[in-house]
Amino acid sequence: MSGFWPIYKRELFAFFVTPLAWVLICVFLVVQGMHFDLLVEHFSNSTEVISDQTPIQAFFGNTVLLYLVLFLLVPAMTMRLFAEERRAGTIETLMTAPVSSAAVVLAKYLAALTTYVAMWAPTTLYLTILARTGDLDWHVAASSYLGVLLVGAGYLSLGILASAMTKSQFLALVMSALVILVLFIMGIAEFVTQDGTMVHDVCAYVSVWSQMNDFASGIVDLRHLAFNATLIVLPLFITTRVVDAWRWG
Amino acid sequence: MVSVEHLVKRYGPRLAVDDISFEVPRGEVVGFLGPNGAGKSTTLRILAGFLGQTAGKVTVDGHDVKDDSYAARACIGYMPEAVPLYPEMRVAEYLTFRAELKGVARKERRASVDAAMEKANVTDVANVVLGNLSKGYRQRAGLADALVAKPKLLVLDEPTAGLDPNQIVEVRDVIKALGRDHTVLLSTHILSEVEASCTRVVVIDRGKLVADGPTAEIRRMRRAPALDVTVRGAEEAATAAMKKVEGVASVKRVDAPAAGADVATYRCLWTKKLADADVAQASEQIIAALVAAGCAVREAHASGGSLEDVFRELTRGAREEAEARAS
Repeated sequence: MSGFWPIYKRELFAFFVTPLAWVLICVFLVVQGMHFDLLVEHFSNSTEVISDQTPIQAFFGNTVLLYLVLFLLVPAMTMRLFAEERRAGTIETLMTAPVSSAAVVLAKYLAALTTYVAMWAPTTLYLTILARTGDLDWHVAASSYLGVLLVGAGYLSLGILASAMTKSQFLALVMSALVILVLFIMGIAEFVTQDGTMVHDVCAYVSVWSQMNDFASGIVDLRHLAFNATLIVLPLFITTRVVDAWRWG
Repeated sequence: MVSVEHLVKRYGPRLAVDDISFEVPRGEVVGFLGPNGAGKSTTLRILAGFLGQTAGKVTVDGHDVKDDSYAARACIGYMPEAVPLYPEMRVAEYLTFRAELKGVARKERRASVDAAMEKANVTDVANVVLGNLSKGYRQRAGLADALVAKPKLLVLDEPTAGLDPNQIVEVRDVIKALGRDHTVLLSTHILSEVEASCTRVVVIDRGKLVADGPTAEIRRMRRAPALDVTVRGAEEAATAAMKKVEGVASVKRVDAPAAGADVATYRCLWTKKLADADVAQASEQIIAALVAAGCAVREAHASGGSLEDVFRELTRGAREEAEARAS
């Protein structure tokens, strides 16, 4: 794992010294802020008590806004990780230093994940606001954030793989966005396919929608954890092999 | 320090490096010479651990670059041809990052970054963002990066490419100074560069090894094939006088004749039989013959002797050798 720390630090530096991270975080917070505002308005204006729904559930679960944001922002966070290094040629100085491919991949991935966490961090303010005005189930909040973290980590992992497969940042962005979109559409297909068929089962398993619904209701399902762990580990592993393969190109 | 044995590299069907073997002795500055596309960068990239070889064995300080890549990479300071740098970092920041990446201990990092900046002459731009550096400074920042971990071996891929003449002299001086306490392997396609800074030369052409030896030996092969003479006087008389000199194969006018001017430049090609030592004498004879014929000599200098000529000479020698062995 030699070379992990310096690369991790440099990647974070590159995220935050260039406008990229700030632009992404700003867009994200504006969208989420509007989203939260709409929800709070909705809940405070509804006369009857909605028993099976809380603002947190709505914020993390029953909304398309979350996925739209991830669909656009996550590929933008990962697109430059490898594509830019290969286009600029800096990959040559990087890989000729005494570093292991696994360390390079992991350092870059964790730097993106750190940025992702930094992006979500200010939204904990919403919880504080909710807790001040009403009851807040901290367990539900925790499982919601776990869901957001896992889903995002999986998408970031797909994104870093896409970035390793091309020298063009734009192509990396499009590829990872497409894969995320396909995963999302497969999840939606859960509602249109027939119950009991194989397609339905597969769609239900990969559905990010129902996953987030569960997490937002405080349900931490082992199947979801297994799915997300696969979605994180497998692309990372393939990325390491891709990085190794450049040597033989 | 470096030993390359029967190195082969294929890119798909294309053979980039074809069975090259050479050694880089410790403490020497070795020039890796060849025209563009000869396989220089490929060989250096394999040496630096960026590419894998198709066949053959490369060891750096006793470490195999394939099986013991980590240890091999740890003793090389490599500067790629294009000198890729992260444009958003400052020079000192970048060098500190590289030092940490190369495993320089935290306590020594500051000192080794300062020392590298000093040696590569970039101390005055320590706080400038890399993206704003001029070409010459970029090159030297890359050199500082190669130096920062005090490697036993420096591998520099075309360190003077794209620099202006002043900068070339500066970088050459830096390399010469480095040669005192590092083993250096540098690639170039400029012969005078090798003569200026290298103690040994390895010449390759189209992926094949052409020559390998001390610089003086290679320099001897650089015999000028012709003498260019600029003369004022009648053309017929001058041509006849030059042709009479022993060792001259042919005389040809090389400048465009201008109306009314009686100054012309001729190229006297030496015969193949003429020994190197006799070239100087024959040159003197040409000038004497011209003066005797009533012409005024304005200028006389050796023409050719370019890298291409040396290559032709060297490859021809190699081919003859191979044929002799075959028969």
